[in-house]
Amino acid sequence: MISDEALIIEFQRGSREAFDELFARYREPLYGFFRRRLATKDRAEDLAQETFLAVIRAAVRYEPRAMVKTYLYGIALKLLAAERRKLSGNEPQIDDDHEPAEDSPSDNELWVRQALEKLDSSEREILMLREYEQLNYAEIGELLRLPVNTVRSRLFRARMELKSFLEPKRKAQSRTRSSAQGEAKS
Amino acid sequence: MSKSNHPIEQEELMAYLDGELATNRAVAAAAHLEHCAECQELAADLRKLSQEMMACEVEAVESSSEIPDEIVAALEKWKKEPKKQASIRRRWSMLFTPRKLVFAGGSAVVLVLILSFFSFSALRPVPMARFSREGAKLEGYYRSHGSMPKAVAPPPSPNAYADLDGSLNGNMAPGIVGQHVTRGREAESISEGDEINTSIREVPTAPMIARVAGITLTTKEFDRTRASLEEILKRHSGYLGDLKVNAPAESGRTLTATLRIPAPQLESALSEMKKLGRVEDESQGGEEVTQQYVDLEARLANGIHTEQRLTEILRTRTGKLQDVLKVELEIDRVRGEIEQMQAEKKELSKRVAFATLNTTVKEEYFAKLQGTPPSTGSRFRNAAVDGYNTVVEGVIEVGLFLLSAGPSLLLWVAILFFPARWAWKKLRRKFAEPDLPSAS
Repeated sequence: MISDEALIIEFQRGSREAFDELFARYREPLYGFFRRRLATKDRAEDLAQETFLAVIRAAVRYEPRAMVKTYLYGIALKLLAAERRKLSGNEPQIDDDHEPAEDSPSDNELWVRQALEKLDSSEREILMLREYEQLNYAEIGELLRLPVNTVRSRLFRARMELKSFLEPKRKAQSRTRSSAQGEAKS
Repeated sequence: MSKSNHPIEQEELMAYLDGELATNRAVAAAAHLEHCAECQELAADLRKLSQEMMACEVEAVESSSEIPDEIVAALEKWKKEPKKQASIRRRWSMLFTPRKLVFAGGSAVVLVLILSFFSFSALRPVPMARFSREGAKLEGYYRSHGSMPKAVAPPPSPNAYADLDGSLNGNMAPGIVGQHVTRGREAESISEGDEINTSIREVPTAPMIARVAGITLTTKEFDRTRASLEEILKRHSGYLGDLKVNAPAESGRTLTATLRIPAPQLESALSEMKKLGRVEDESQGGEEVTQQYVDLEARLANGIHTEQRLTEILRTRTGKLQDVLKVELEIDRVRGEIEQMQAEKKELSKRVAFATLNTTVKEEYFAKLQGTPPSTGSRFRNAAVDGYNTVVEGVIEVGLFLLSAGPSLLLWVAILFFPARWAWKKLRRKFAEPDLPSAS
């Protein structure tokens, strides 16, 4: 499989096929990136598209020393920040009426989303980049301009906080299940 | 969970599960995880969290295989654009590859270091004849190009150093230099257009001299001389550092003052002051502070750099509260040093910009004829008062002596009384007994 970096260099030389391949590889991840962070599906699609348009406009400036993945998420983070600035004061970033999934989400999913909202924004971003975008610590550090040790410690804090937010809900769920089982047996 | 109980920390365990731990630590983590129930529980929690997060899926994007029209249009437009610009940019980017940039940066640093070394060499004391020539050239340049640059200390007048040249045998020694100027020698004045410079540029090119001069005058008209002195000071934009006037009863008055005069105007101020009276003594000296200034500048830059680095560490790094407090204490210490150095730098600049002129003005004293001597009656009365005072003083002195030395005297008398009495009795008995004849 051709690497992302080789593809973008090919695209710089004028290969349309190389761009198609990059688009195929990153359209879903970029859409997911925006979808998890924004309230509406349409806006997430628009911004994912904007990311690719920015890649086309700035293709000549891409340098092989940066990984394509971090390059794309770097553009995406900037677009997201601009979007949030635009939205700030007008409407909440995540609207409860607009659930990301079309099907009604499970209790667990709702709890996770609510718990994520309670986290510190910087810690939440690190956690989401790690879990959803599957970036390693160094890539997260490069994107957010943070030392790797800071990324690690913030990630740990975020996970521990998330755990503490979810713990009571899990216990309540297990109690409900056990009582339901008890009723069924009787 | 602390490191004392577990060979790995919780964060390390998390990093191990994420595949982000260095090999040697990962081996230790794996070995520990096999038999530590607490860590197994934490690992299970972390894995469960990841699973729960991954369970939150987003719906698939519509028609994910098709490229949207906007992107297609942008691609078409991009394809039509000449690639010349891109190729030029690529060529430039090839020219400035990281390796080449590092090499170029390293070369630039070496070059700057070499240039700095030569600059420092240039700042060392030079033979006075050469310095005078260059100083004259520099002054001529400044005069032909208007006023001197504001940020540069003006080069000292070549004449001032021409005087020093003789006594120092052509070489200007570092540190304090000074000499006595013979009385009556005329000092050439510096052009009136010279500006007063209070700020010094970062790296001085001309030697920085803190000038000190002294003058002692004797005058018949003390008050007028003092007024003229203040006028001269005002005319030369100087200020009074210190002033003291002494007026003893049967002697002439003396004025001692420390005047601070802009260094370029010292010569003209001195020549004006010489006209105020008879010059008894005159001296001029200078301390070269270039090296001191450059050292201070370098230490200050280092201090500021250290402070910035510490602030950056405090801002970006996370750690224990104790470590944060240590960094804050270190920042406090560095800031204190920086402020002290800035004050020193300011003081040094002030010493260079303003010469110190120690001035002494003595009034010529004419003894006044005494009036009629006091009457005999008043002299007797004065003598009686003196006698009475002496008696009272004597009584008070004795009383004070007894009060201060009495207790210790009593103590010694009590200690020595009985041994002394015993010795006295023994001696008296010995002398009182008659010589008895021998038994034989």
